[in-house]
Amino acid sequence: MKILVPTKRVPDTDQKIKVSSDGTGVQTNTLPFIINPFDAIALEEALRIQEGASDEVEVITVGIGNDEYEKELRAGLAMGADRAIHVSTDELLDPWNVSKVLKVIVEKEAPDLVLMGKQAVDDDSNQAGQFLAAQLDWPQATFISKIELADSKANVERETDLGIEKLSLNLPAVITADLRLNEPRYASLPNIMKAKKKPIDSIPLTDLGIEIEPKIEIISVEAPSSIRSCKKVETVDELLTLLRDEAKVL
Amino acid sequence: MTSADQSPVRGADVIIIGGGVAGLSTAWQLKKRGLSVLVIERQQLGNGSSGRAAGLLGQLRGTKAATKMLMDGLQVVYDLEKQTGLEIFVQTGSIRIAETEERSQEIRRLVDMGRSIRFPIVDLEIDKLQERLPYMKVDDIIDACFCPTDGHIQPAELVQAYVKAGRAEGVQYITNCRVEKILVEGGKGVGVQTAQGEFRADFIVNSTGPWSYYLADLSGTSLPTAAIGHYYLTTRPTDKVHVGKRSPAVRNRHHRIYSRPESGGLIVGMYEAEPDEYNIEDLPHDFDMSLMKAARDNYNVALLIHQAQQRFPWINERTPMTITSGIMTFTPDGKPFCGKLPDVEGLYHCAGFSGHGIVQSPAIGTIMSDLITRGETEYNISEIEADRYFELPELRDRVEVKARCADMYGRYYGQIEGQSS
Ligand SMILES: Cc1cc2nc3c(=O)[nH]c(=O)nc-3n(C[C@H](O)[C@H](O)[C@H](O)COP(=O)(O)OP(=O)(O)OC[C@H]3O[C@@H](n4cnc5c(N)ncnc54)[C@H](O)[C@@H]3O)c2cc1C
Repeated sequence: MKILVPTKRVPDTDQKIKVSSDGTGVQTNTLPFIINPFDAIALEEALRIQEGASDEVEVITVGIGNDEYEKELRAGLAMGADRAIHVSTDELLDPWNVSKVLKVIVEKEAPDLVLMGKQAVDDDSNQAGQFLAAQLDWPQATFISKIELADSKANVERETDLGIEKLSLNLPAVITADLRLNEPRYASLPNIMKAKKKPIDSIPLTDLGIEIEPKIEIISVEAPSSIRSCKKVETVDELLTLLRDEAKVL
Repeated sequence: MTSADQSPVRGADVIIIGGGVAGLSTAWQLKKRGLSVLVIERQQLGNGSSGRAAGLLGQLRGTKAATKMLMDGLQVVYDLEKQTGLEIFVQTGSIRIAETEERSQEIRRLVDMGRSIRFPIVDLEIDKLQERLPYMKVDDIIDACFCPTDGHIQPAELVQAYVKAGRAEGVQYITNCRVEKILVEGGKGVGVQTAQGEFRADFIVNSTGPWSYYLADLSGTSLPTAAIGHYYLTTRPTDKVHVGKRSPAVRNRHHRIYSRPESGGLIVGMYEAEPDEYNIEDLPHDFDMSLMKAARDNYNVALLIHQAQQRFPWINERTPMTITSGIMTFTPDGKPFCGKLPDVEGLYHCAGFSGHGIVQSPAIGTIMSDLITRGETEYNISEIEADRYFELPELRDRVEVKARCADMYGRYYGQIEGQSS
């Protein structure tokens, strides 16, 4: 069995984010980068499937981006992935084009399962997984909080506002991970050593034979207003009045 | 907290730069002696190293002077608790363990020293160890001692208590205000330059922790401290392992680790041989230590988990835990710098606590205010005087200072205490 885990390299959004001087993105030069937390959860799950399986399971991570990407791919290998594929490009791709790239990789690798984060925390698009499933015409399950594989099927649970939804889907499939699926591990000492020798297969984006057609144009990026108006209320009645008349939520 | 524009204060008898435990303790003590005191902090009070610390208080140290300082400091903490109603100190007792003959001798030397100054120590039978620490591997331990009055200080509570007590005395605090320069006129520190303008004082205290060498540079003098990374892990309580609130702290120098209970889980920290080194001057001005994170494949974190596992076999890289990453201030000999340097009058330094600033701060506040108000103190401060390296030209070279401080950090648990200096 083969599991493909696409991972995105993102700035750590818990840090203080500042808009770049040209107003079309955020300043990244002083920000530390991390593996997108949801992708790390997907990778952790793939590793747990591998550790729990009786047959051999290969876990492959894929990253699309500039040379800096190697650091995060190496981190994925240190967590335990078997090998990594780096699609190298300096272009920033939107989710549609990411899914096009991933489609080519999936066709090449023929995995039984694509396990990825439900969204990347830098742009919060929540689209790449869905686009990929559609392009491959594979079954998909998103926002997964539990997964079990049995007899070429994936039985999954997703947390919805109405309760827990249980789905069963045929493999191969695209499944995206939510926060509560698991807690990713730190790399162990031996795995950090081993990761240095694991292969990262680098493929230039231009060699994939696909046309990049941007679907999203960023017009401007603005920081949210930092001035939040707070009001101290004295009584519950006063609070209710405000909620009803001013906030209009009651 | 007042902002500078609304505040009538544009100066004070003493300006304290840096609102970590060192500055806050000193401010409170000075105000109690009748001086007007202004603390200027670049971010929030206690948001530097003080906000990251594990707070372990082990009073048994290499020398009598250091042990006495910690014992006295604990009395100050008890007073603070009474005054503020906060629970600052958690008395768990602490255990030192040895798995080699050398380490056993180290413990015996410390026990002799401790008893000579009436510090309470109980010898611990090895088979009693497991009773006290059911979650620890004990079969390779050949010696141990128990210090019942040890424990840990809760850093956030200590910060809060200093501020509460200080405010009650009338200390003024200005936050979100970075000192850009220390003003020196005719060889004397006379004030500070900040984004909110100038503030003047007769005495200035540089208690900026990891930033202390940089602030010293800015005032034209030199302080041989360095900013060194440190990590600890905190496990979450599980059905299998629950660590009681009064479970003793452990110092396991052979494996370079320490531990203490935290909210039903266990904190384990490590003094690794090759720590991360930081250039504090290269970090952005709004660098926030509380937002530091370790990468999933951080080598020193992996090492920490590995070492923790040697003593606590149920811990591994998959154990649910958080990793705390922070920056400490180290000096070439692991002792802080407290006092003046010969080249700038009126400017006092109070930094370089080398992983022990939380527990040293209560006594340090007294020592600093002694030095500032009287020029002397009853404490034996020969080991911590600020000018002890002043004559050494090699300790003006950053590369050399960093190397020596990192080396000291590495030897901190690595060397056998009481054998070398
Ligand atoms: C992970 C970790 C674990 C630790 N564990 C322990 C422990 O178990 N026991 C123990 O005793 N100690 C421990 N320590 C060490 C302890 O945290 C420090 O020794 C102590 O907090 C030092 O206090 P400080 O006031 O000197 O420095 P800090 O708390 O760093 O305070 C310095 C302050 O100066 C401010 N500042 C800097 N530059 C400027 C400027 N230009 N203008 C205005 N303000 C400025 C900073 O913002 C900061 O708030 C630990 C430290 C770390 C990082």
